[in-house]
Amino acid sequence: MCKRQSVISREKTTSDDGLPVGEDRWRAVLEEKSARAVARARRADRVAGFTFKVAAAACLVVLAFIVGMILARGLGTAVKPSFLLGKPRVMGEGGGIGPMVFSSLYLTLVTTLILTPLGVGAGLYLAEYSRGKRLVGLLRWASESLSSISSVVFGIFGMVFFVIYLRLGYSILAGALTLALMNLPTVMRVTEEAVRAVPASYREASLSLGASRWETTKRVVFPAALPGIITGVILTMGRVMGESAALVYTVGVIVRKPPFSPLQPGAPMAAHIWYLYTEGGIVPDWMRIASGEAAALLVLVLLMNLFARVIASKIRKKMGIIG
Amino acid sequence: MATSDEGLLGARGGLRVARTAEERRDGDPSPVPDKKMELVGLSLSYGEKKILDDINMAVPDRSITAVIGPSGCGKSSLLRCLNRMNELVDGARVEGKVYLDGEDVYAPDYDVVSLRRKVGMVFQKPNPFPKSVYENVAYGPRLYGVKDRKLLDRIVEESLRRAALWDEVKDKLDSSALSLSGGQQQRLCIARVLAVQPEVILLDEPCSALDPISTQRIEDLLQELKESYTIVIVTHNMQQAARVSDYTAFITVEEQGGPGRLMEFGETREVFTNPKEKKTEDYITGRFG
Amino acid sequence: MISVVALFLMVFFLIRESLPAWKESGVANVFTSEWNPDRGRYGILIFLVGTLSVSVGALFIGTPLAIATAVYLHAYAGPSWKRVIGRGIEVLAGIPSIILGWLGFTTLVPLFRRVAGGTGMGILPSSVVLAVMIIPTVASIARDSLDAVPDTYAEASLSMGATRWQTLRRVVIPAAWPGIAMAVILGLGRALGETMAVAMVIGPATAFPRDLLTPTHTLTTKIMMEMGESTGVHRSSLFAMALILLFLSMLLIWLVRWLSNRATRDMSKGSYFC
Repeated sequence: MCKRQSVISREKTTSDDGLPVGEDRWRAVLEEKSARAVARARRADRVAGFTFKVAAAACLVVLAFIVGMILARGLGTAVKPSFLLGKPRVMGEGGGIGPMVFSSLYLTLVTTLILTPLGVGAGLYLAEYSRGKRLVGLLRWASESLSSISSVVFGIFGMVFFVIYLRLGYSILAGALTLALMNLPTVMRVTEEAVRAVPASYREASLSLGASRWETTKRVVFPAALPGIITGVILTMGRVMGESAALVYTVGVIVRKPPFSPLQPGAPMAAHIWYLYTEGGIVPDWMRIASGEAAALLVLVLLMNLFARVIASKIRKKMGIIG
Repeated sequence: MATSDEGLLGARGGLRVARTAEERRDGDPSPVPDKKMELVGLSLSYGEKKILDDINMAVPDRSITAVIGPSGCGKSSLLRCLNRMNELVDGARVEGKVYLDGEDVYAPDYDVVSLRRKVGMVFQKPNPFPKSVYENVAYGPRLYGVKDRKLLDRIVEESLRRAALWDEVKDKLDSSALSLSGGQQQRLCIARVLAVQPEVILLDEPCSALDPISTQRIEDLLQELKESYTIVIVTHNMQQAARVSDYTAFITVEEQGGPGRLMEFGETREVFTNPKEKKTEDYITGRFG
Repeated sequence: MISVVALFLMVFFLIRESLPAWKESGVANVFTSEWNPDRGRYGILIFLVGTLSVSVGALFIGTPLAIATAVYLHAYAGPSWKRVIGRGIEVLAGIPSIILGWLGFTTLVPLFRRVAGGTGMGILPSSVVLAVMIIPTVASIARDSLDAVPDTYAEASLSMGATRWQTLRRVVIPAAWPGIAMAVILGLGRALGETMAVAMVIGPATAFPRDLLTPTHTLTTKIMMEMGESTGVHRSSLFAMALILLFLSMLLIWLVRWLSNRATRDMSKGSYFC
């Protein structure tokens, strides 16, 4: 047992490596060197830790700056009902953004109505039913590619396909279809993740009780995944609301009356800000209007974010009580 | 500091082991000859939850001390108190003292880096770095400022030899450590610890993820290593504790969810053949836990 | 299924619409630097250069900050900071690009104008705005990949007396690098495709930028600004640009897939057989 150890040590005594013989041959070396190395490592650790902290803080500062600036410059304008609900003026000061707010909300609603069943269905399919490896690979590749494509590319595709080819014209519907396509990958992914997060034991328990595959999905898996899905959908709604590049050439940038039919052109707030920027000179107070609109839009988007979180925790709590 | 011969004598022959209650009452909490480490009134809590309560025991030099107990009794946490790895957990709080060679390692000015160099750790699941075999062993010496390639080569070779792994990996020092078998990986982790020349090696259920043959090899290795190192091994396998250790500490919880307490500590043979506590007897005969 | 169809439809329509441009001026001429619809010249090199330079600039500014934030969240932050900063990054990700563009236009541009003179528009403000946009993407993916490195590696390193930074630099970050590279590539993808935020601060001008503060154009901004008033080959050239953008982002996705396959292969090579 201990023979082997001594054999090694003896072998080593003959070598001229300058290290002492025995079990702790290089302990002295380590102890000698470590003092400096450890001190240096400590210093580096402190510097690194500080740097990382500063970087993280910088991100928060940037966020605070963005939100603070936008609100400081625009909130004063945005909170007035005459601005939020009023009609835009063709010329002259004092126009409102009522139709734009309406367009944004309406567009978000229509998009969600189209997007949710498609995205959730596809996500469920991917997570629960997909067996054929090649098909799934193709689907994933397609949705990853879709999610990476620039929104302006979606915009002009929507223009040639929905607006011109399908003859929808500039309309809420054309925009909603474009946005649905654009956000499909997100909703699919969110659904898939939520479904995969459902413990396998739920599924097995249901299947072992004799429930069919579809029944299991419907009654067990889907409800358990619902909080995640709903959160994802609401977050996507926030993104839809802030989208502009895809809408300029599908929905429109300026309207005077709220578009009640989905086939009418609209002017979502984000696209309208773009319009003000490019055609700004038309009304003298365009900077004020754009700032106010930006603030209103930001508040809406942040509210969506908050709402998503509140809903998620509410549902989770409720489910916790039932389960 | 005692020599290894005394330590061995104490461990093997049990000559100097204080095993009677009278001797323990004399103020020395631990029936061991040469204390490499000593735990005095050690308690550990995570936030509100108390994990360990008032542990008093000693770790004898150059021998193997096994820590056994039912799962969840805090035996792994106890091990982690010995090299202050518990500090990495948010909200962990340690009370009491842990001495290494008579110095309190929780003293504010105690250098945790040198503590961890002296007290190395091997984990439950083999966790070599996703680097080459060579780089795994050279990791520690590099941390401590060894840059000389020749010296590193020698350290790597000798550490691998001591871990009884050299012959198996000498031709693939540059291949990924993750390509080794589980047993080899665990011995590589031991070599990695040996490379920084520790004095104490802590092993946290090192064989629980290994097959019987690999386990056998690790156990043989431990027998060799205890000639030079002080070893503490946490195990849930009582046969293993009986086979490899010289001393055994039995830790258990008295009520569900309560903190772990040291039930019994002594020479392994005594603990297993003639336990003083009813609970110990129940546990080692398999009546509970 | 729809996404597959949609993708093919998109490629099909973009090709169809851009066909006149490829035919008219020839593939070689598309990649020249002269853009002059009046004279029938449709070289897009300026915009390609613009896109690449603002994106690289954004990476330059945003990536270090994002990765440092990811590392902080992974290794240094206490639970409450983790939550606060994590939420903050999510919120940042949700801010519409038009708002960032507007803010850039109303704050950054005047600032640069005052400091450096000129219009204050160009590559630098675009890069800054884009950097803000890619930080959430890069930071959250990089953080996920750091978190995916088994804790046991870090434990082993720390138990040998390594500092946190040594552990990160020698073990955790090398183990997470495919994921971090992926994060940067996806950030680049986001920067390449971003339109509105850039459009409001880039100028615009159809000329190569002489320095970081002269107006220029990117592929996306050119498409955005001229699609409304273009016809014929001009319009078709814009579609050609969109097609190039689409292929660029698909190329990046392909890169990401390759990386992630590599990463999983590396991991599975070390599967534990016990």
